[in-house]
Amino acid sequence: MASNHLTGIGSESKQLATWYFTFAAIIFGAQLLFGLVAAIQYVMPGFLFELLDFSVARMLHINALVVWMVFAMFGSVYWLLPDETGIETIGIKVGKLLYWVFVAAIVVVILVYLFIQVGPADETSIWFIHEGREYIEAPRWADIGIVVVALGFVANLFLTGTTGNRSGIVTVLMADMIAFAGLYLAGMFFTDNISVDQYWWWWVIHLWVEATWEVFVGAIAAYGLITMIGAHRKVVEMWLWIEVAMLFGSGILGIGHHYFWIGTPEYWWEIGALFSALEPLPLVAMFIHVLYDWGKTQGGQDATGVEVSVINNKPAFTWFVLNAFGNFLGAGIWGFFHTLPQVNLYTHGTQFTSAHGHLAFFGAYATILIGMMYIAVQGTNGIKVMKHTKSSLWAVSMIVGGVMGMTIALTVAGYVQVLVSRAQMGATWAGYFDGQSGMWFAQAMDWRLLMGAITFLGFLFLVKDLLSTGKNPVHER
Amino acid sequence: MAKTSVWSDNRFWQRSAAWITGFSAVLLIWLTFDTAGQISMGTDADLQNGVTKRVPGPTVINYKISYEMSTARGHEVPVIGEKEKFFGRDDWSEEEAGALLHLGKLGSQVKNCMNCHTLLGNGAYYAPDLTKAWLDPAWQNDGTMQAMTGKDTKEEAMAEFLQHPSTYPTHARMMPDLGITAEEAKGIVAFLKHMSSIDTNGFPRNFGKIKGAVHGK
Amino acid sequence: MFEPFTDIVPSFFGWLNQGPLTLTIFLHTFIILPMIWIYKQEKARLEKES
Repeated sequence: MASNHLTGIGSESKQLATWYFTFAAIIFGAQLLFGLVAAIQYVMPGFLFELLDFSVARMLHINALVVWMVFAMFGSVYWLLPDETGIETIGIKVGKLLYWVFVAAIVVVILVYLFIQVGPADETSIWFIHEGREYIEAPRWADIGIVVVALGFVANLFLTGTTGNRSGIVTVLMADMIAFAGLYLAGMFFTDNISVDQYWWWWVIHLWVEATWEVFVGAIAAYGLITMIGAHRKVVEMWLWIEVAMLFGSGILGIGHHYFWIGTPEYWWEIGALFSALEPLPLVAMFIHVLYDWGKTQGGQDATGVEVSVINNKPAFTWFVLNAFGNFLGAGIWGFFHTLPQVNLYTHGTQFTSAHGHLAFFGAYATILIGMMYIAVQGTNGIKVMKHTKSSLWAVSMIVGGVMGMTIALTVAGYVQVLVSRAQMGATWAGYFDGQSGMWFAQAMDWRLLMGAITFLGFLFLVKDLLSTGKNPVHER
Repeated sequence: MAKTSVWSDNRFWQRSAAWITGFSAVLLIWLTFDTAGQISMGTDADLQNGVTKRVPGPTVINYKISYEMSTARGHEVPVIGEKEKFFGRDDWSEEEAGALLHLGKLGSQVKNCMNCHTLLGNGAYYAPDLTKAWLDPAWQNDGTMQAMTGKDTKEEAMAEFLQHPSTYPTHARMMPDLGITAEEAKGIVAFLKHMSSIDTNGFPRNFGKIKGAVHGK
Repeated sequence: MFEPFTDIVPSFFGWLNQGPLTLTIFLHTFIILPMIWIYKQEKARLEKES
């Protein structure tokens, strides 16, 4: 059984990784809190009106989402680098400095969002308050700061990868992270032409979440399989290359499904429809791959006659398997639902997108990043075999149940919007509110709030478990 | 001699992944150049000469815009018609109209429109889509929204609402006061009028056409 | 045989878009086909090594 990741103690890179994970978990909490505020406002529109309006709560909700995931992604790379390359991360001192720069910038941005909220319609507001472009609202000064921090991170990764043992996983991460950082530049300019604006805006959003982030998940899943169940590296890395080919092959031109209705030419209908229709395939492949390797290594173990589990970290592996399935379900199935232009003409800009967004970000990214946090807890506490606790099981069930519940509620709400507001009423102002006041829509929003609250309770169990399980005597040391 | 299959060879998949990724990226860049040419903003001369652009120039605010079915394309397209007064004038110069649109686009971002509304269908779903808001029946001469503000023209009614949204509650879910000034409101209305003239390949479908079965309208 | 061009501006990609699948089949072919060449090269290399 592979246990090279148990060397967490004494590695500065791994220490930095735990810092990243800690801040990520805090911002994850903020994401859920502001999501709850926004969910309450759907049910009680007067809640915090003109104090913390929906626009502000929602901006914080989705920005916190992006930020905590980027932090946890950086943390994951700093965690696995020493294991993969066999050396301490090069430039770790700069990495630690940049971490504090990053944290300070994020805290300032959040405080400005919360307490300044809006400014006059001029360039100064774009530079110092926010840019008002969904997901990448960060003001221009913070954009520049983020690029500097990201470049420092990529430099650390490249120096370490080229000096130490450059494994397949590290090679994929190097190529992927440079694209990830570079793409952010596409979202840093202002234009009066909203079609051009949204064209480039999707370069950042789509090529992040449906291309580079997915490949990142593939690399992390490969690392997890090797360290947690001792899967064969050659097989795992072959799968990884196949996944890269399929993810980028469908995902890069799959960007076309965002170019159906923003003023771009009609040929995007076909490119967007057919390439993005293939996007679920690599996600199916990743799911099969995880289950296959698990069965194969467990079968090999059972054949020796000694019946022990090959998994050396139960909670982390649970989250990794949930990732394999959640990625397929949330990004694959819920994405495919509305990716064809004939369907998207009616579903574009409805709660359908929101349903897909919730399950996809959770299934594809939140799950595996939480898994990485558990791997870090195992490593820093020198645990040989980490087991589930009551809290870890409550956390898994409540978070998964809550997010699934929210997704189903939002899907129902989306159907009402599509049928009433769009198909029947032609998407007018009056049609919009007819859809919103329908009973099915209103009840769906009640359920979403309830399920959101359950998700938040699950998050509290998760935090409790991550903080306490390291010292729990149930684990084998 | 046991031969290894190419299908289980890491180098084959690594090279394939590199080729597919690289070539897809090249195709996307090529497509981007093609699209960038087609979505660049038109000019005043284009409008005067009747040249159809996907994204017309800012002086489109001097014209009447409608949204009509095109049999050739099988969906609705924005149609730019005769001259129409916008805040009392139909002779906005290219510079003036450009400055107004610039202010309006900045306003749409700074006031965070996109985190409640959708623009071209992208954004949040807490408030109506603004893609064709300029053409919405509620803002026309016999529309409820225009009547509520007591103004005589669509643009003045929209500007009034934007400046004092919570004075005109239209639904339990209200728009908050975002400190929009009179000049900013003018810019944002120009931005909305311009956006309604963008060719969105028929999105949204049947906009404002179906009075259908709901509430027996 | 060819569909009349309907989009506003004629373009290379617009012409390839002759109805369902034509444009994507064309692009996919160009993306996938070179893998045959990579396959043959790698097969030759593996045979040489064994």
